[in-house]
Amino acid sequence: MNDRFTAIAAEAREGWEASRASGREQVNVCLDTSSLARGGAETLAALQEAVAAKGLNVDIQTTGSWGFCWLEPTVSVRSAAGTRTVLYHSVTPDRVEEFVQATLVEAGEFPELALGVVEGAPSDAIGALEDHPFMRGQIRRLMANCGQIDPENIDHYLANGGYEGFVESLDMEPEAIIELMLESGLGGRGGAGFPAGRKWDFLRNATAEPRYLVCNADEGDPGAWVNRILMEGDPHLIIEGMLIAAMATNSIEGYIYIRHEYPLAIERMNVAVEQARERGLLGEDVLGSGKAFDLVVFVGAGSYVCGEETGLINSIDGYRGMPRIRPPFPAQAGLWNLPTNVNNVETYANAPLVLRHGAEWWSGVSDDEAKGTKMFTISGAVNQPGCVEIPFGLSVRDLLEKYGGGTPGGAPLKGYQPGGPLSGVLSAEEADLPLTLAPFRDRGLFLGSGGIVFFDETTSVVDLCTYFLGFAEDESCGRCTTCFQGTQRAVEILRRIGNGGGRDSDLDKFEDLIQTMTWSNCLHGSFAMTTVKLALRYFRDEFETLIREKRDPTRSLPGMITYEITSPGDPALAEAAAICPTEAIVDAGSRFEIVDELCIRCGACAEVAPNAVTVRDRFV
Amino acid sequence: MAAEPTTRELRELVAEYEFERGHLLPALIEIQERYGYVSPAAIEVLARQMRTTPALVYGAVSFYADFRTEPPPEREIAWCSGPACRLRGGDRIREALQHTLGLPLDSQSEDGAYGLRLGQCNGTCSEAPQVWVDGEVVGDLTVAGAVAIARDVKGDA
Repeated sequence: MNDRFTAIAAEAREGWEASRASGREQVNVCLDTSSLARGGAETLAALQEAVAAKGLNVDIQTTGSWGFCWLEPTVSVRSAAGTRTVLYHSVTPDRVEEFVQATLVEAGEFPELALGVVEGAPSDAIGALEDHPFMRGQIRRLMANCGQIDPENIDHYLANGGYEGFVESLDMEPEAIIELMLESGLGGRGGAGFPAGRKWDFLRNATAEPRYLVCNADEGDPGAWVNRILMEGDPHLIIEGMLIAAMATNSIEGYIYIRHEYPLAIERMNVAVEQARERGLLGEDVLGSGKAFDLVVFVGAGSYVCGEETGLINSIDGYRGMPRIRPPFPAQAGLWNLPTNVNNVETYANAPLVLRHGAEWWSGVSDDEAKGTKMFTISGAVNQPGCVEIPFGLSVRDLLEKYGGGTPGGAPLKGYQPGGPLSGVLSAEEADLPLTLAPFRDRGLFLGSGGIVFFDETTSVVDLCTYFLGFAEDESCGRCTTCFQGTQRAVEILRRIGNGGGRDSDLDKFEDLIQTMTWSNCLHGSFAMTTVKLALRYFRDEFETLIREKRDPTRSLPGMITYEITSPGDPALAEAAAICPTEAIVDAGSRFEIVDELCIRCGACAEVAPNAVTVRDRFV
Repeated sequence: MAAEPTTRELRELVAEYEFERGHLLPALIEIQERYGYVSPAAIEVLARQMRTTPALVYGAVSFYADFRTEPPPEREIAWCSGPACRLRGGDRIREALQHTLGLPLDSQSEDGAYGLRLGQCNGTCSEAPQVWVDGEVVGDLTVAGAVAIARDVKGDA
């Protein structure tokens, strides 16, 4: 064991134990981006104010997310005796006063907002957190610290086993580390699932020096925020994972490439890197071992293809983030044409767990072919948009029902997108698929980085295709004609269909584009048509109804509907006329009318005058 | 927000940056953080500092959605383009915002008073559909609510 590490870990543990035995209540406020969007910062300020006003002697600190994103801000309270911690939800600023009164002044509990008991015995009023329906069946390994430690305090991480996996690797031969990673079966978490150990071995065997590591924290798939949860909740786990990879590959420097849309993650990763440097965990001579490794937090500037590993490398190098032509692969020629390994945030974050607990423990979490746990975010037509960590293999439907809380109003599920705009859509009949790699691969798509988006019967599949192809068009880097022209052409045809101008030949044109675009250089172009390809497989009827009957069964496509006033005397119509952004609702003396040429189908009028405005088919 | 940057200020700001060390994007981000946008003069100065061509620097500026080439508007609505928002009427909100403001996405009024921007999903999908008004999330939005916000931002209450 490394003496320097033993000393800093002991000191951290001492500090942690002392703070937990302080005899004061501890209040942990979750402050991640989701919580901030729901007033978390105001809650924190209100708590601090209330505690000061009442002269209470209480420790207040901030943590990352537990994954209950739809119930933020969450706040936990640990009793002064240190025997009991309860997690609460929806502690909005207006509830803080009574919350403080109940939990701190009276040192009792607040069952109305309780999610569960984290530490201590459950009671009749408040059950154990692990028995909460959202937590049951989750296995929190990557997220073990999320919600429980201050992500901006390295001592909290060190006191909970942090960096022990790295210290283990410090005394190992690179081959032995890679052997262990291969034994664990850890696959890349960015979507492809390629064995991390093999990727590391490519870099280990590279001939040129120096070597670099890159952590892909670009998380550009809209609807995915698993990497954000980790970076905002436990940034040192990622640093530790990169340190282990550095030991396995003799790399000297690493880059953590974070999208600019994640300012809090950027801030927390920067703080974590700085603290790791201060403790000698990063730098010229890591823990006195004679080995050098340092990290740079690199901020992106808004480009989806920079999530493609060679696009990302070009971006750091200072060029447009256009994916390169491979080979050479990054392990031969990456950053500055030197050997480089790129992994996803979650891939690196698993490495410390493998080193600390062994490959057998790590992979033994389930019998699934894909090893380890996986974080998923759930969004779209669900009651509970949040983040979970589960072993591979749970069915999509169980994810929706157990953790997503089902669809709003129990509406029938129409389908889902398993992971990002390039991953395609599947219908509800495929909702029994297990969340693992093989079944998706067999269907010509891939389980992406973890963002699962559900949609119900109110959604038009043509609208979804237009959306995802429009996204692919916007984000195409422009290198391959097949991609930048192909996506444009697809969007044109989809828009035409959505406006009632569909032709029978359009479906053949799609088949053509599907074939042509697979010749693109990178996955962006070759997978851009996956959504259309699968939509035609699962929802062909809907395309045919639109093209042949000029009718949209969902009555949601703007080009296929008109708005009509069916109760012209409804008093709410005056307000509808006032809100209409194009002044399409006119007062014709005793009654209101919609001027169809001015109407943009935004539906604002139907929101304010639901009983007077009716949506009709435009062509039927 | 500072006024039009001078060449001298810009030179000082980017003096430590080196192209060979991956500093083009960090330098552009620093320029934008300081001045709110990347001016033509900044592109020239940065190209010289990086010992490369203005074309290469401009190539990066135009490639990444976050860089602005004109001063940002005083008030701005960023519309979330994510899927959870789309499934809950986000595209109708976009349509209403564009018509109320009289602007397409990623543009601003001629006097620079207000603008409309395409925002990317950052995983606050529990708030869908959402926009950011001057950087602050406004969630659970209706189309009517969006129209009201846009009128307020535009200044015709």
